[in-house]
Amino acid sequence: MLEPINVSLESLNLGTLTPMLIAICGALAILIIDLIKKDLDKSLYVMLGILILAVDLGSVLGQQVNVRGFFDVMLMDGIAIVSQVIILVGSIIFLPLALGKKRFHEYKYPEYFAMFLFMVAGLQFMVATDNLILIFVGLETASLALYTLIALHNRERSFEAAIKYFTMGALAAAFYALGSAILYALTGSVEIGQIAQALGDRNFEPIVLILAAAIFMIGALGFKLSMVPFHTWTPDVYEGSSAPLAGYMSIMPKVAGFVVAIRLFEFMIQSGIWWVHDTLMVIAVLTMVLANITALVQNDVKRMLAFSSISHAGFLMLAIVIGTTKANSALFLYFALFMFTNMGAFTMLWISRHKSNKFHNRYDHPFEKFAGMIRIQPVGAVIMALFMLSLAGIPPFSLFWGKIYVISAAVDSHYITLAIIMALNSAIAAYYYLKLIVYMFLKDPAQNDGTAYVKNASKSLQTVIGICAFVTLASIMFVGPILDTITYMMQVSGF
Amino acid sequence: MESLVYIALFAPLLGSLIAAAFGTTPKTLFTGIVTSSLLAVSMFASMILLAMAVSGAYIHVELMEWIGAGDLYIPFGFVVDEVSATMMVVVTIVSTMVHIYSIGYMEHDIGFNRFFSYLSAFVFSMLVLVMSDNFAGLFIGWEGVGLCSWLLVGFWYHKKDVTRDVNPSISPSWAANEAFIMNRIADLGMLIGLFLIYWFTGSLQYSEVFAAIGDVDMTIVYWIGIFLFIGAMGKSAQFPLHTWLADAMEGPTPVSALIHAATMVTAGVYLVIRANPIYDVVPDVGYFIACLGAFVAMFAATMALVNRDMKRIIAYSTLSQLGYMFVAAGLGAYWIALFHLATHAFFKALLFLGAGNVMHAMDDELDIKKMGALYRVMKPTAIFMILASVALAGIYPFAGFFSKDKILEVAFNEQTYILWFVLWVTAGLTAFYSFRLIMYVFFGKDRHTEWGAHPHEMPNFVLWAMSPLALLAVIAGWFEGWFHGYATNLLPDYAFSDATHHMVAMLIAVTTAVALGGIIYAIVRYRGNGPKKPTNVNSPVYKLLINQYYIPVIYENVVTKPYAKLSSMAWSIDMKVVDATVDFIANSIYGAGSTARGLQTGNLSKMLRLMAAGVAALLVAAVVYGTLR
Repeated sequence: MLEPINVSLESLNLGTLTPMLIAICGALAILIIDLIKKDLDKSLYVMLGILILAVDLGSVLGQQVNVRGFFDVMLMDGIAIVSQVIILVGSIIFLPLALGKKRFHEYKYPEYFAMFLFMVAGLQFMVATDNLILIFVGLETASLALYTLIALHNRERSFEAAIKYFTMGALAAAFYALGSAILYALTGSVEIGQIAQALGDRNFEPIVLILAAAIFMIGALGFKLSMVPFHTWTPDVYEGSSAPLAGYMSIMPKVAGFVVAIRLFEFMIQSGIWWVHDTLMVIAVLTMVLANITALVQNDVKRMLAFSSISHAGFLMLAIVIGTTKANSALFLYFALFMFTNMGAFTMLWISRHKSNKFHNRYDHPFEKFAGMIRIQPVGAVIMALFMLSLAGIPPFSLFWGKIYVISAAVDSHYITLAIIMALNSAIAAYYYLKLIVYMFLKDPAQNDGTAYVKNASKSLQTVIGICAFVTLASIMFVGPILDTITYMMQVSGF
Repeated sequence: MESLVYIALFAPLLGSLIAAAFGTTPKTLFTGIVTSSLLAVSMFASMILLAMAVSGAYIHVELMEWIGAGDLYIPFGFVVDEVSATMMVVVTIVSTMVHIYSIGYMEHDIGFNRFFSYLSAFVFSMLVLVMSDNFAGLFIGWEGVGLCSWLLVGFWYHKKDVTRDVNPSISPSWAANEAFIMNRIADLGMLIGLFLIYWFTGSLQYSEVFAAIGDVDMTIVYWIGIFLFIGAMGKSAQFPLHTWLADAMEGPTPVSALIHAATMVTAGVYLVIRANPIYDVVPDVGYFIACLGAFVAMFAATMALVNRDMKRIIAYSTLSQLGYMFVAAGLGAYWIALFHLATHAFFKALLFLGAGNVMHAMDDELDIKKMGALYRVMKPTAIFMILASVALAGIYPFAGFFSKDKILEVAFNEQTYILWFVLWVTAGLTAFYSFRLIMYVFFGKDRHTEWGAHPHEMPNFVLWAMSPLALLAVIAGWFEGWFHGYATNLLPDYAFSDATHHMVAMLIAVTTAVALGGIIYAIVRYRGNGPKKPTNVNSPVYKLLINQYYIPVIYENVVTKPYAKLSSMAWSIDMKVVDATVDFIANSIYGAGSTARGLQTGNLSKMLRLMAAGVAALLVAAVVYGTLR
């Protein structure tokens, strides 16, 4: 005879679940609306999506810090809140990009927006827990939704991208499952906190098994974060996706991935498993360098941005390797700033998107397309240049502050060599960002009317660009307060 | 209180930003109106602040911390005291009138909005310069006005370069660059001065610097005084950095009136006045400043004697009057320098705006020998310009009389009789060339109908905008006694000896005589059909003067060309050594990129294999590590 299980509602602390529930219910609502009345305009779903995400954001901001809930599965610590805020703000910026002037296949389906909200919920689950199983569930929810979003773009390259991403994702999922299984076998728990405790109790023996678990985890998360050698999907997938989605992918899933990586690797690094530390460092440096030099030789702006985002990820992996509070805070500050700049850059590409490729038979956005843009579309060229300069880390634009804090965290922890490598890589990166500026400002125009640059322009896209440009420009004003908030959040969650 | 300071300071900036928002669009009248009204707001705020400064209330505000690094703490601080309140009122009055005037003057210019954006930005920078409570803020304003001057002188940047015989200033963009580069040289001196101040007094706040200057080694104070004055020489176009001012006349005339007559060029004088505690410690430097000032006064006046370009004549007269101000400041009569600065701002701005009216009537013709008899058609302008010229010549009871005569008295009182004599002669020259211009332009034979000019007066509101300046050009001098009491609350008083007191009437008589003589001679010489015996244009003296003592040519041959040679030499070294090295590094990295690209085949099977291989390799490494440990 089983004992009836009594659980008091208070102890469940359902409040910790509300953010994700809002997103999921919102997604279901969109599906229901579509069932009731077909063929509603996409703008309704966009606005609905923004509204849902705004409410979601409100409920995240209303969370108490460091609360567990739902049988201790949920964990709303500072890091979870900060990362969810970044994810939600980025998602809110992403949605209006559906309102371009041209019609694209995916936006015809309300499912696109529902799927997007499911993905957001998945990412939120990933960051708001330290339970390996829930992380897995969140990861897969987000990924499966994302594969579909990519494929919905309905071009040959999109299907190819989705298939590649899916297949490699499956392998990564296998790595993740293996890694979790080993950790569970060693410790009998799936909660990272308890795993750390148990491993510490047994003095990190047998080390080979622990390392094997760590390696599988590196493989899984390395795939998500596009670390070398698990990065090969990135350029192809970015190229196949629509520009906004590529911009989105280069940030939000990575934020979630980094949160998991922080939770998982930092206890290992801090308890003196130097092998993990060194491996991660080598992988991060390799990622940064390899992606940077490959980006140099790209002919397409979107592929260039894809490689550059890999190198940014490598740069940020070093923050995890350093592992101090300052480094972790810098990581999130970096993402908060990177989000606006990168979304802005990809939106600029999105604005100039046209249905037929008249500049290159394969690429949508070859460098030649932007030649002489300053004479045809001066405002657009200046804004694009602004984003490029920010990505290159030129002061006083936003990303400079992110870079400088990460590098100063490295110096503070006596990683002088790392700091130099980071600085050198920023110098290499400046080359390909400036290459676009050179094309835009110094070359003769490839065409005479400016319509190619604004084919897909609409008020909502311009608004998004305006917001991104403003944040990029004015970041100097609010970097301080944001960093203070993030640092506080890091400290209370013990990272 | 504080809000008044901020209103006075930021209203022009707001105007500038509003106008800038419409900078690329064609003319919209309201940008002119908005900027002008905001400047009027700033003007009234400045006047109230002046009234408060009169009643002895200092206002000192700190907007925010600006630089705080280690021991260095520089706030964005502003101070309203006797000196800065005077400067603020002068600057905002002239600016407001010039803004309103420009609405008419720039009416048909396609860059109308852009012009107002620059002009208001200039006023903001100028206010930062005069209101700052520390040298760093002053320097920011200093550079800001330099930048705006560059933008405005080169406002018609699309005009092509021509040779020096066609137009001595070559082109607006050339003139703008010349002004900017020449000021860079001076600013280097100024920066060194500021570094020295910070190094030896540990602060850049005026109050702290002046309190500590007494304890600093005398030699150092000498150098500080000299370097600060080098900065002042650039902004105020003192010899040998004077050539840019006449060339800067390429800018639109309201710009010349505001920047190159009334405000920016007086910044150097302001600096010396502001730094008076430093110059009091080193009277020798002050004496040098006075000598250079007297030299420039005469030097510029002689060039004005023969020039045919209306705006250049007025520019040389500005240069000459700046010389007067430096004499006063150098000899320690700071309040008199400030007083002349203020009166000069009014009548010189008026003179320039009048010249603008004439240019407008003459289709931008500047040669005074192609004008004549304009009095009939442009009566108000003619009266304004005559008023301004009389004031400039220093005839009682116009503004110039009070301030200029005081400077001559100072020179006499210091027993520097040579300085006094030079200034006395210059006063005569000033009167002569001012009225030469008046006679050529407004009286004598009509020489413009023959080349087809159709002179017409400016719209009424433009003339109204000039009238406050005209009024001030007449009455500003009457406040001398009051100003003396007021300014010496902050600035050191200047005491005349008894001997000078006895001589004052005599001095005034002598000076007035020479000025009247100059005027009468000009009138007699240029009335009717012009001079009976025309000037010999081939005489060496004439050639020397019309070619500005050949100084621009000398600069070109001695400085510009050798420098260009040196630069091209450095360039070839750079190409062969530095560039080659950099190119080599870049090419190797680029090559590495092409190789690395091979990884990216796009083949899914290869990609999966690579991933698995990565994990496998790591596992092997881990096993090796585990066994070795």
